[in-house]
Parts: sequence; C-alpha cells; structure tokens
Amino acid sequence: MTRKTLIALMMVLAVVAVGGCKKKKPVTNPDMTITPTTVEPTQEVAPATEPAIAGDQTPDPLSGDLVAADEYARSQGLLGDIFFDYDAFELRQDARDRLAQNAKFLTSHPEFILTIEGHADERGTNEYNLALGDRRANAAREYLSTLGVGGDRLRTVTYGEERPFCGESAESCWQQNRRAHFTITGRTNVG
Amino acid sequence: MPGTGAAPEVTLELRPGQESQLKLAAPSFKVRGVLSPAARQAATQLENAVRADLEHTGIFVIQGPAELAAAKLTGDQAHDFEQYRALGNEVLLLGEVYEEGGRLALEGRVFDLKSGQSILGKRYRGGFELTRRMAHSFADEVVLYFTGRRGIALTSLAFYSDRTGDREIYLMDYDGLEQRAITGHKSISMAPDWSPTGDAIAYVSFFDGKPAIYMVDLQSGLKKPMVTDGNFNSSPSFSPDGKRIAFSRSLEGNTEIFIANRDGSGLKRLTHSPGIDTNPAWSPTGTSIAFTSSRGGTPNVYVMDVEGTDLRRVSFGGTYNDGAAWDPEGKQIAYASRLRGHLFDIVVTDLAGLSTRTLTGGPGSNEAPTWSPDGRFIAYAAEVGRRTQVRVMPSAGGASEAITSQGNNWAPDWSSYPAQ
Repeated sequence: MTRKTLIALMMVLAVVAVGGCKKKKPVTNPDMTITPTTVEPTQEVAPATEPAIAGDQTPDPLSGDLVAADEYARSQGLLGDIFFDYDAFELRQDARDRLAQNAKFLTSHPEFILTIEGHADERGTNEYNLALGDRRANAAREYLSTLGVGGDRLRTVTYGEERPFCGESAESCWQQNRRAHFTITGRTNVG
Repeated sequence: MPGTGAAPEVTLELRPGQESQLKLAAPSFKVRGVLSPAARQAATQLENAVRADLEHTGIFVIQGPAELAAAKLTGDQAHDFEQYRALGNEVLLLGEVYEEGGRLALEGRVFDLKSGQSILGKRYRGGFELTRRMAHSFADEVVLYFTGRRGIALTSLAFYSDRTGDREIYLMDYDGLEQRAITGHKSISMAPDWSPTGDAIAYVSFFDGKPAIYMVDLQSGLKKPMVTDGNFNSSPSFSPDGKRIAFSRSLEGNTEIFIANRDGSGLKRLTHSPGIDTNPAWSPTGTSIAFTSSRGGTPNVYVMDVEGTDLRRVSFGGTYNDGAAWDPEGKQIAYASRLRGHLFDIVVTDLAGLSTRTLTGGPGSNEAPTWSPDGRFIAYAAEVGRRTQVRVMPSAGGASEAITSQGNNWAPDWSSYPAQ
C-alpha cells in the first residue's frame, strides 16, 4: 500500500471513527510526568504560520487537501517525528522538545486531526513490537494532551515493525524506525 | 493379499533425537500394465513424494534405487529379501502403481526383512492431481506404524509474506510446497493462527486502517471480522475446541489479554497489569494461556489459567522472551529468547522443571516458533542476511531446513492433523 492510499484510508477512518471517545486519563508512567514550565500557557499563533495567514492573495497551503497540508507542515518544521530508545517508550528530552513544537502548531491550528503512528525497529519480535508501537504512539498522544491538544483530535495506530522507514540493518536505521510519526489525517469542525 | 495387523516385529520405540534410525530399502515402484503419459508423470511424482516424506521424518535411513542397484534380484521373494538385508536394510517398502479409469492407484506395502512378513499394506486411488495427497497418506501410515504417531505429511503451515510488496497470509504444505495466498487485502496482514479444527485461520489485518482480528473460512474463502472494536487488537489464538479465541487489545496504550467467543461475543479480560501483556497462546489442554508480559520490567513468558489467575513466570533466561508456543502435549513451551546481543534464538522450556534448552544459533535472529502436531518438529522464522525465512528443525535439536524463499516470510503457525 502506498503512503497516499494509506493516508486516504485513514482519512475515511477519521470520519467514521467517532464512537470511541477517548477520555483523558491520568498519566500512569512516572517517566512521562510533565514539567509545565516548558509549555506556553495560552494559545498563540505560531510565528511560522504567519506568512500563510497574512498573504491573502496566495492560497494558504494548510487550507488545501490534507496530504498537501501535511507535507507543508512537515517541510516547514511545524510538525515532526519523535524517536525512542531501544525497547523503550519513554519520551526522551529531544522527543519532548519536538512534541512541544508540534503542540504549538496544533494549538494554533485547531482544525486539524492528527494520526500518530507508533513504529518499532526490527530487532524485537513482531507481535511484541505491535504493542510497543502502540505504547509509543500513546505516550506521544498523552504528552500532547497535557500540552493542550485535545485527545479527540489525536488518533493512534501502531505498525510495530511492519512498516519500517529504513531498511538497513544498522543502528542509524534502527533509530529511524523507532519513532512516532505524525500525520494530518482530518479536519475538525473548528477550522 | 497380506494387509495390516501382522505381528509388529520391527516396531521401534522411536523418540525425537534418538540416534538409531530404521534402515529402509525403497526400490523403484513397480508399474502394473501400461500407463498413459499423464499417469506416468503422476506415478513419478507419487513415488518421489513418498520417498521425500519418509526422508523428512528423520526416522529412516533410506536406500533408494541407486543404493540398491547392487542387489541381485531374481523375483523370488525370499531371495530378494535376503539381498536387501545383505545391504544392511531392516525393512522394505514396495510400491506398485497402475492406471484405472483415468485415475492412479497405489498399492504400498512394508515388509520386515528378517521375518519376511508383510507388516503394512495400503491401497489408494485418486485423480492425477491428488498424487501428492496419496503419497502423504501412505507415508503418514508408515510413520504411524513405526512410531505409534501419525506422520505430518498432510499438515500445513500458515505464515505471512511480503513477496508481493504487501503483507498477506499464505498457506503451504508441511514441506514448503504448494504456497498460496489466502488473503488479498493489499495491506499488512499478519499473525495467522489455525483453528484447531482446521476450518479457519484467524489473523490480524490493517486493511481497515487499524490492526484488528479477522477470520478466513478455508472452505469458502470468506473473510469476516472477529474482534474489531477498539483501536488495536492483535495476536489471536484459538482455544483447542476452536470455539473461543485469546487475543491482546490495547486500552489507550496498555495492551491486555482478553478472551472471547469466535464471533467476538462473551468478551472477558484476563490480565490487569500496567505493563504490556500480549501474544497469548492457548494450551492444547484448554486450561492455560501462555503470554508475554513486561510486568517484570522486560518481556517474559508467563502462564495463567483461563480465568486469568494462577499466574506464573516460565522464562528466566535471555533479556527478552516472546512468542510462546505449546508442544502438542502441553508440557513444554517454545519461544524466542534474546540470548546473543539483540539476536533471538528458539528455546524450549519444560514446564514441570523449568529446564530450558536452546535449539538455534546462526547468523541472525530466530523467532516465532510453532510445533508440528506430532511434536517432532518446530518451524520458526529465521533471519539470514537481510531476509527472514521459515525454517523447520527437529524439536529435539538438529539441522534445520528453509522451506520458503520468496520475499520475507514470518510467523509460521502449524496446523493440527487434518480430519481423517
């Protein structure tokens, strides 16, 4: 399956899947306790999005189709993936920093629904890695929630080691595959 | 015509890994009458399949036509048997094929060379397309006679493969032949599990956007959802009566073990730990479920009863243990254990004494073991270079053989014996 058809599929899913409303639940993992000081308390328009809003004559790349919006957000560094240690789902400092940036974009763009993919490198076992990928995606989701991104805007899906980003058998590649990947997959009624 | 039921004088108490193998003479099959070209081709295939099946069992040392060329045969039974014996053989397998109304018939016999007595006689008849089946049936009978346990030549393995670019569920015969896709979701489909009654295979697929559990009926090819509620369901494992499944489900990032009826009703949660609990395997006795849990810090194999109580850890070596598979008697569990750096090997733990033996080595990781229904073999996914293939080895340890080669192939699951 190509990435685009998958994204399209997930868009359909995003529209359909309303039933399972996720309640925000207390953070259970001690390693994921949040230091609120790193968080901007109120919603602000992130400076990076300003040109798009200011220029009335040029179409806002974020108002186009979701794939284009996703690509734009990624290319502008508004939305980025986070990486994990081997066997781990705890958020590293670089992951928390990246999530704070992602949260900034998402709070200033409440119209977007996001899917968080959890991935694992090939070295674990396939079925355990599915569970590990699920943990990683949910760790990212919970952290984004504490940064003010509503849980109803965040979906998760685990791919375990079944859809690697990188195919070499080397640590540089394995690190690439231990990630949570963020994709814009829908719009809320807000936008 | 001599049939079965004669005194089993050469019956051996054969156990996996035992050194003494039975020395079997298997000369070319005799042809009765004239065969059409199609029948001749089928007859050749049949003879080769019988010999290959018997070779695979590991319980025979076989002398074929080449090794038996030195025998000076006259057609006199006593004389000829003495010739086979003189070459070191203990038993003799004779086959005779003939064509009958567009079908092929096989009469297979086994003789004890010492007494000259016929100890097994079977007749099979079928269309030319069924010759492998006929060969497997006869070979399994021969194995049953000598070991007291039916051979596995009629069993199959389910697995998943990326050979088309997508990951689909496949079936193959026990020897790796007749590989065929049974899903075409053009997505990720994985983790196949045979229904013990052989009628269906449960599996995980992402085709609806999230991993959920489906079932394919092998008669009709129809697929239907089994467990699709929630965000992530995985690792189906049928109960031995085929009526229920154990599986894992994520509750917002916390994967737990559940059981449910085949249609998804009667849901019951069995584990309640903050760690990952996944990959359940229902015991052949029906009373226990093995699974993997990270509740102790790292993934390990645990066993609990079907109420979720009476929990005990059974893996103690390695730094990461997953993929429990019960032996057919429910006394041992095979699983993948991370023993060499980040590489896994297949180990078997005896549940009574918790002694553990390591069965694999090699350049790469070995995971996802599954037992043959006679308990004599373990299939698993072995990484060699950048590829993963299904390999088969004796459960007692010994040389392994790759039975897949196209693309990557993972997560073999061995069927039960087919219904007789």
